[in-house]
Formats: sequence, structure tokens, C-alpha cells
Amino acid sequence: MQEATFLILTALAAGSQHGYGIITDVAEISGGRVRLRAGTLYTALDRLREDGLIGVDREEVVDNRLRRYYRLTPQGAQRLAAEAARLQDNAAAALTRLNPAGGVA
Amino acid sequence: MTESAALERRYRRLLGWYPQPFRNEHDEEILAVLMASSRDGQRRPGLMESANLVWSALGMRLRQAGSRSAARPWADAMAVFSVIAPVFLVAASVLEVALPYRLPAGSEPFLGRALGDHTQIGGLPLLHLTGFDIAAGGQMIIAALVLLGLRRLALTAIVAYVVYWTVARYWIPDPLQLLSTSVYMLTAAALVASPGPRRGRHLVHWGHWVVLFLAAVAVQVSTLAYAATSPIARILFPRPPDMSTYALISILLAVAVVGLSVVMRLDRYLLLLLGVMFYPYAMQLAYPTSSSSDNLIGHPTPAHLALLFFPPLLVACAALVSAVMPLRVPAAQPSGPDSAA
Repeated sequence: MQEATFLILTALAAGSQHGYGIITDVAEISGGRVRLRAGTLYTALDRLREDGLIGVDREEVVDNRLRRYYRLTPQGAQRLAAEAARLQDNAAAALTRLNPAGGVA
Repeated sequence: MTESAALERRYRRLLGWYPQPFRNEHDEEILAVLMASSRDGQRRPGLMESANLVWSALGMRLRQAGSRSAARPWADAMAVFSVIAPVFLVAASVLEVALPYRLPAGSEPFLGRALGDHTQIGGLPLLHLTGFDIAAGGQMIIAALVLLGLRRLALTAIVAYVVYWTVARYWIPDPLQLLSTSVYMLTAAALVASPGPRRGRHLVHWGHWVVLFLAAVAVQVSTLAYAATSPIARILFPRPPDMSTYALISILLAVAVVGLSVVMRLDRYLLLLLGVMFYPYAMQLAYPTSSSSDNLIGHPTPAHLALLFFPPLLVACAALVSAVMPLRVPAAQPSGPDSAA
């Protein structure tokens, strides 16, 4: 799973969000390192919807602008959990090897 | 006109790169995100933002090209072409070797057999194979791959084939290799811009194969008729054979190809594509020079090659562009005149 996809799913894990909300949340989650552009975001959202990992929650019109909220599907939550566990295992393995004696690497 | 209206108009223009169905659903939504992300007083989309939108839109169009192509008659025609063109070239290669034995004495050591005498091409030793064997083998592999429906492998093989024969240097450029290169350019475009060779194979029926075989024979008979009477042949043969009978046969075969295609109600796009496929051969016949040995077979000049490759390249590019470009630029929202010209 690509990092942008992982971060988008993570942003939706806490609740449904609209496009701009996802962009700001992803920037916050990544500490400002990943700044999604609209083109990248909607390509990813389109693919995630096709794969059944996210769905449309509701729509609102705010200041004459359409806001569509996306939510994580159960399948998406399952996939995100599996990916997070995989990354955690990898990170743990890397840290263990960097610091085998438990001291300073 | 306010800054935000000008910006919105330009964003809408950029969103026109996306496929229409996607825009119907997401246009307003993406626009809202873009406007929310913009700076105060911003009038134009940033360069990176624009590039990102166009790039994403093109990617989406390519991704959707296969799925939506079932509704496009052109896509089906290209799918058929992607299957029959490589088979056509194999048939032409086989006939190139087989036909000279049935020609009048003196005209046989031409075409493929000339290349068949070579032991190396482009400085690359061919071991026990001749240049013609390599070419025919490559063509057979490509034909087998499209018949098996393996699009990406077929594309890879075509690229390798075209690159090899384009950079290769040898004594007499075999016309078939020059000509097949331009046909393969079209084939590659058809493979990319169509639902693929599996769909083409599904659409092709026995009528297509009959027309294909007759077309290959017509091409080779006419090529031989021309070759045996061309200026270079007059240098090689003191008394060029009378090829009028073969010229007549080739004309009759061409009439049969078109007639059968119409009677059997083959797809009219297939007829058109067959026409495109015939183009290199027509060029070969249309460009003999009676006063010198410069011609596509004996001594191709840069002008010959430009004429040979440019139109097929243009058609190939058009096919690719039609697969990825928006069909029309969307009408901008009525937000007033754009004063920031």
C-alpha cells in the first residue's frame, strides 16, 4: 500500500471527512511531510471506492460549494489494520536490529 | 471579475482533462477543494497544482480507456487491427520467400533472399541465422503473442523489433523490415488504445482471415512486380522479365479484397485500417524513380523514410491521443470575462 493511500485511510479511521479535511488531516498526521494535492487525492479516492475500501457518507453544500464526505468501510478498516500491523512489525524488526543489546544504536 | 472567479474558471478548464463521467460526479467537489486550498488573492493555479491535475486526469483516462472502449466502435476496430496486422506481416514474410520461386527466371534473387545472404546485421553476428530468419522469427513471435492475447508482452516485443531494425545497418535495407516497422507503430498504438488483442481475437472471424490472406498475396505480388521492373532491377538483370501479368493479378487481388470486405460486411473501420496498413506498400509503388536507382527498395533516401514513417506515426499518435485526451473542453461557468489575459 502506498503511503498516501495509507494516510488517507488513516485520516478516515476516526470518522468521515470531506476532501479538504482529508488533505489537512493527512498533513497533520504526517507532521507536514505529506501534502496531498487535489489530483492525487481524488485519484486515490476513486481507486479506493472501486476497491470497496471507502464509501460516500453524505453530501453537504457549504457556501455554495459541494462537500462530499467519505467514510471507511469495514473492509477498509480491516485493510488499514492489517497494513498498520505489517508496518509496526517491520519497524520493530528494524529497531531491534539497530539496537540489539538494548542500548544506544 | 474577482480573483476567485478567474481562478475558478481556470480550475474548471483544468478539470476538463478528466473523463466526462468522473467530472459529472466530482467536478464541483474537486473545485471546492481547490478553491479552499488556494491563497487569498490567487488568480491562477500554481504550476505544480496544474501539472498534478493534468497528470492525474491523464492517468484516469488511461485507466478507464480499456473499460469504456467497449462502447467505441473505433476501439473495436483497433482491437481487430492489433490482431490482424502482425499476422498479415508474417503472411507477407512467408510469401516473400515463397513467391519468387514461381516467378520468371532472372527475377527471383530479390527481396527477402537478398537479405537472406547476410551473415550479420548492424555489426551483430547472426550465427547460423540470416537477417531474414531473424526478422521473420520476430514477426512470428509478435503474431503469436497477440493471438494469445498477451498485450504487454506483444508491446514489448514490438518495441524491441522496431528498435532493432531501426538502428540496424546493413547493405540492402530489406523493404519488408522498413515497411513492417511503420505497420508495427500502428499496431503498438492499437494495442494501447483498444480493449486489447483478446477482444480483437473474439471479433475476428474467418472472413477477416480470407481478406487478410488475399491482401498479403496482393501486396507481395505487386511488390514483386514492381521490384522486378524497378530501376535497380534493370541494373541487376540485363533483360528484366515481363511482369505485366503479375501487375494485373495484383490489381485483381486488390479488387477482390475490397469487394469481399464489402460483400461480407466486414467492419468499415477494418477496411479503413486495412487501408492504413496498405499505405507503406502503396508508397513503395508510388515512389519509384525511373531515372535513378533511388527508391524505397534499392536505396531509400531520407525523403522516402520521412514519407514512409511520418503518416503512420501521425496516425499512431492520433490513436493514442484519442485514448487519453478529453473529447471536448468543457464549457466554463458563466463567471464573467477573464480580464487576466
